[in-house]
Amino acid sequence: MSEVVEFKEAVEKKRIGWGSEKAKVTKEYLDEILQKFGDKIKDFKQVAYNQWIITVDRNDVPEIVLYFLNHEGWKETQLSTMVVNDERPLRGKFSITYWLSINGAAGDFYLGVRAYIPEDDPKFISITPKHRGANWYEREAYDMFGLIPEGHPDPRRLVLPDDWPEGVYPLRKDFHYSDSPPGKKFYPYKKPKDNEVIVPYGPYHVALEEAAHFRLYVKGEEIVDVDYRGFYAHRGIEKIVEGRLTYDQACFIAERICGICGCTHSTAYCEAVENAAGIEVPERAEYIRSIVLELERLHSHLLHLGIVCHLTGLDVGFMNAWKLREHVMWLAERLTGNRKTYGMLLVGGVRRDLLEYRRSLIEEVLKDLKSGFGEFVDNITFTRTFVKRCESVGILPYRIAKELDVDGPLGRGSGRDFDVRRDHPYAAYKYLDFKVPVYKDGDVMSRAMVRIDEVWESIWIIEQALDQLPGGDILAEYKEIPPYQEAIGMTEAPRGENIHYVMTGPNNKVYRYRARAGTYNNLPAIPDMMRGYTIADAPLIVASLDPCYSCTERVQIVDVESGKVRVLNEEEFNRMAIKASRRV
Amino acid sequence: MPVTLKYPFVKITAPPEYRGIPQIDPTLCIGCAACVNACPPDAILRIDDYDRGTRKIVLDIGRCIRCARCEEVCPTRAIKLTNFFEAASPDRRDHVEVVELRLVKCKGCGRYADFTGRQVQKALKIVPKEIIEKEALDDKVYLCRDCKRKETVDFTIEASKEVVP
Repeated sequence: MSEVVEFKEAVEKKRIGWGSEKAKVTKEYLDEILQKFGDKIKDFKQVAYNQWIITVDRNDVPEIVLYFLNHEGWKETQLSTMVVNDERPLRGKFSITYWLSINGAAGDFYLGVRAYIPEDDPKFISITPKHRGANWYEREAYDMFGLIPEGHPDPRRLVLPDDWPEGVYPLRKDFHYSDSPPGKKFYPYKKPKDNEVIVPYGPYHVALEEAAHFRLYVKGEEIVDVDYRGFYAHRGIEKIVEGRLTYDQACFIAERICGICGCTHSTAYCEAVENAAGIEVPERAEYIRSIVLELERLHSHLLHLGIVCHLTGLDVGFMNAWKLREHVMWLAERLTGNRKTYGMLLVGGVRRDLLEYRRSLIEEVLKDLKSGFGEFVDNITFTRTFVKRCESVGILPYRIAKELDVDGPLGRGSGRDFDVRRDHPYAAYKYLDFKVPVYKDGDVMSRAMVRIDEVWESIWIIEQALDQLPGGDILAEYKEIPPYQEAIGMTEAPRGENIHYVMTGPNNKVYRYRARAGTYNNLPAIPDMMRGYTIADAPLIVASLDPCYSCTERVQIVDVESGKVRVLNEEEFNRMAIKASRRV
Repeated sequence: MPVTLKYPFVKITAPPEYRGIPQIDPTLCIGCAACVNACPPDAILRIDDYDRGTRKIVLDIGRCIRCARCEEVCPTRAIKLTNFFEAASPDRRDHVEVVELRLVKCKGCGRYADFTGRQVQKALKIVPKEIIEKEALDDKVYLCRDCKRKETVDFTIEASKEVVP
């Protein structure tokens, strides 16, 4: 047992943050921006309790955004999302808005920096050369709206499929959601350099669910570069919500964005609409939302810990984690009516009340989970092969993490002290007490440790919420939602920050909907994490992100020079990762 | 406690809270199509046939996402989510449930109106009897929209003639 104690002490040293103070809504950052760039700002307005939008000329956007992101004194600034909106029916122009946020418990503040772009000159200055986190957002702006980011270092297609024709932009308002234009198949992957071999890794991911295609450029066993082609599972949810659904219907479609953490997407959407329309949610509904969200975090983290154990060859840990998870799933089924797609939320509150007998069910499961999880954590941290395999693999330094705006446990594993639940309290988190674990090493082990700590915090949050649960209504009544109001809703998903932007429209419909999941910010960090490690490390590194994508068949290894094709199925590929752990 | 179940070799039942396959009770359905408006994935359709005078409410459980919004909005509790979850079937037609109802034949023009007889009966049940005279109501509810509009205009013209000779 002395080893466990030693390990625990070593972990304590690595943990650099353990903060629990909630952030308060503040305007001081806006005042400073107004003071510094006063003459450049044409207009500013408050759209929700913690959100402001300033309108500037499109040439001034990079200066203000970069000033905000690189400010020395402001803590954990983050490019939360970028929203492009086709406002031609309203103003005859497109708009782009960079949503920036302050984290690190330094204030609850979101700032949208907006510029209007005329239709006949659809260009804006890219900030990607100076801030790499904007890469995907700006590529998506070109894909979906045809706005050209000038000076973008990598202006390839991101979201649309390979056979989509040039010059058709699906999120413009003149494109109907059921159109399907014909086209030719082609995608410009990066060219390999001398002596490099390409390893296509996907479209079916090897370790986790869902489709994503990585191209590993290798020299021998060492990875020198990575190219990514994803969005195979792009379903056009934003377009469907804008084209066809009413506010209440969209809750259930938003829940189906993710296969693991659907409820937090639903919450983010509901919050965005509530913020935009000024609907107040009853306190009891807020508490129920928090309980359901934390249950979701529990099962998601347990799933992830199981996968990490599996990929390091520790199948006992994998089975134990999934066994614990199953009880959480059954509990969710009893509480909400389904294992995963809870369908609990509506705009203005929740649909099912937490009756007394359900409350005792939760208490029972949590009691078992606490003892079971403690045992599990002791088991895996006592296993020296697991620890050695996870330590110093896939390191993501703090500087790169900040540059790429990574989210969630990935960011917290690299020393970024943020958590939406604490920095921008939503639902009932403002009434609850919890801590945010932050580790500085940035390797696979740190990310696993962040998740282990968060499981304990989640259990603690649910217990508190059950004790404090107030009475009252669970669904707010509201009259018509006013058109053309806008706001964002934010939640901390198990994988990172979810930001949903909603602009309300006429006829009980959404005018513009933009969902951004945590993995959208995390995946671009994979090349930086993989460089210098071996092919056998690749599944472990990708899995350590806990990315949201699905189902594995096989992977192809192609030697370009000799034209030799080697096909590995999932089992063989994973076995490589497991074998590597035997070597330690 | 082990979590691996012997299913499908052993039959299991879902918990009572489970949202399973929805079912329409044809004896209760009035064909108001409230569920059609609420359904997020368009799993329920309303198909009116004005030649034959029928309205079909078509439920496709292959499209259904089991959100139970239909159950919430149904005024007669005709549609309900059951406990069953095994939807697999070799025949696609097993997934579709059709409820066919008669539309009201207009007493004025003889064409079919866009509401069902059961909807009218349900509406008559809700209307408080002391407010409106029942006989006047009986004449009016079985008219189609056009005839109702026409009657209202005719009535207004006649009434105005009485006031202003």
